[in-house]
Amino acid sequence: MKKTLFTTLLLTSSIFATVNVATTYNYLGEVTKAIGGDLVKVNVLGNPKLDPHFITPKPSLIGKLRREDLLIINGGQLEIGWLPPLLKSANNNKINSGGSGFLDVSGAVNMMDKPANVSRAYGDVHPDGNPHFAVSIENITPVAELISMKLAQIDPDNSSQYAMNFSVFKKHIEELQSKLEPINKGCQGKKLVQYHELFNYAISDLGAQKVGDLEPLPGITPSSKHTLELIKLIKNEKITTILQDVYHEKRTAQFIADKTGARVKIVPHDVGATDSSNTLDAFYTEIATQICQ
Amino acid sequence: MKKTILISVALSTLLLHATENSDLEKRVDSLEKVLNKQKQEKLKKALGGGNSFNQKSFIPDISLILSGSAVARNIDNNQYEGYGIDGFVERTDEIPFNKNRGFNLNYAEFGMHSVVGPYFDADAIFHLSPNEFEIEEAYITSKKLPVNLQLKAGSFKSGFGRINAIHQHAQHFTEQPLVYEAMLGVEGIKDAGVSLNWVAPTDTYLMVGSEALQGANELSFGKSSSNNLYVGYLKTGFDVGESTSMLAGVSVASGKTQNNRDSRLYGGELTLKHTIDSYSSLAWQSEYLYRDREDVKQAGYYTQLIYDKDSNWEFGLRYDALNKNSINQPDDLKKYAGIVQYKPFEFTKLRLQVDHDQSKSFGGIRKDENRVMLEFLVETGAHGAHAF
Repeated sequence: MKKTLFTTLLLTSSIFATVNVATTYNYLGEVTKAIGGDLVKVNVLGNPKLDPHFITPKPSLIGKLRREDLLIINGGQLEIGWLPPLLKSANNNKINSGGSGFLDVSGAVNMMDKPANVSRAYGDVHPDGNPHFAVSIENITPVAELISMKLAQIDPDNSSQYAMNFSVFKKHIEELQSKLEPINKGCQGKKLVQYHELFNYAISDLGAQKVGDLEPLPGITPSSKHTLELIKLIKNEKITTILQDVYHEKRTAQFIADKTGARVKIVPHDVGATDSSNTLDAFYTEIATQICQ
Repeated sequence: MKKTILISVALSTLLLHATENSDLEKRVDSLEKVLNKQKQEKLKKALGGGNSFNQKSFIPDISLILSGSAVARNIDNNQYEGYGIDGFVERTDEIPFNKNRGFNLNYAEFGMHSVVGPYFDADAIFHLSPNEFEIEEAYITSKKLPVNLQLKAGSFKSGFGRINAIHQHAQHFTEQPLVYEAMLGVEGIKDAGVSLNWVAPTDTYLMVGSEALQGANELSFGKSSSNNLYVGYLKTGFDVGESTSMLAGVSVASGKTQNNRDSRLYGGELTLKHTIDSYSSLAWQSEYLYRDREDVKQAGYYTQLIYDKDSNWEFGLRYDALNKNSINQPDDLKKYAGIVQYKPFEFTKLRLQVDHDQSKSFGGIRKDENRVMLEFLVETGAHGAHAF
């Protein structure tokens, strides 16, 4: 009897000890699992196959947010179009912006493409800079460190465990980086075009160069005029690769490819966006392979 | 501090590489100069006065929404003004949208959202129509009540039903469904009072809400010498597989009429949304309203299908019916509407709407109304995202 009681107590207390974490995107979920291990229970809100700007604010997400101890978001206004109404409905003060259980990881990263002039005349711009930093492996370690610090803050009893998991994670990413080096060599000086300003961090960190976007302005669908200009540019610059994400229409890229002989490469923007990018390792390997090879 | 570190680093390196001594000294010197200069500049700035009382960071989020339309209609403006819905509305006293044949500016709407402090947020929406300034909504919302209760106080659109709380610019058709217009008027339940709601901490979305309101809505209630309207609703939602979501709910509004007699309104709603990809979805939404007002029982419903083809194009159909009316009044009041919407940019909508309305009477005579309308809607400024 005593033993049963003890076991029950132990079980309940271990359930209580778990930190419930929601992350807006899959890559944040993967990092949190790596840092938190068994100490956290992770719920990912956004489907990685969809446009991260426009996740459907499904009612089922409200119930999830209502229970969480910690919410980890990408930030840089990537979630502004879908997360605020969910947070308002869930009304969980712990995870509201400014609460102890709210973490915006964009603070760990040096954001690029910060616009000098912010106006919607330039399309759907992000005033704080390009929020798609997760596609560069260089940014994942600072993000993981920030997450480990936050977990230690809200669950101080296990802070040494989080710190230890982070150092394992850091080492693992370093190993992955050196494994990817031979692939990255293919990117040196390579010129590319992409659909949306989605892969800028990866392109820049891998040593390649972005020459154009299929969208005339961020968030504006390709126009025939812009597409024809792009075809001319691709021919002039002898560009061989068009980077396409999984969620935008693929006709325009295919049309340009047919006209110019360039190849369309599908690049994942999040862990799990493609069928072969289901882990952080596979994600960064696929990005490097698709962009550089 | 920085200087100390620099010097100690410099010193320890010095022991190891005596030859680099003078080079390092030079570098430390130049760094020191830079730091000094920065300090001087900071002091100079401070001397010139600072932004001690600058409140720019506290300006509320402000948005501006504009709606206008061009209307072609078989009913002329004189006849149209003051139309009725037999058994429900004798004579409308205001028609806020698309009133005139030809061009209409429906409204300019100012929305403000601000954080009051740690305990409350404040929202206000002002509606400016050609002859009117109206406080559409103005309320505070609590943030820190125990067990995650949320309290709202002020004047606001009631959470009754599916569509009542949604603003005109966020709806798929230009006017409220016929059953809302007939029972609650074009503005729905918009009233002063308080609301309290609670979301259950479960995977299945479950929300319970209750409201105590003044009861100013004249079509269904209207005795406002003291507060008399109470609203309650229960909403639930869950996912059916990865890409289909359901939202369902029941609502009750119970109050008094001007004659101090009972009036009750019951609502049932169902929304199913299937996400095809990021920009494409199919949504089916229906609502049924039943009213028992001074022992007169009436009912009606609408059902609509919205197809988002891509980020630019949307198509929609709605069927409206009032199928239960008081004795000797018609129970075949129907309306058909279709839309084609083009969105060149996220915050710009151009909408073509075609209606065939068999529900209205003009000067006491029922007559079918046909209308073709082109409407523009723009959202600018810091406007919050819309819910499901």
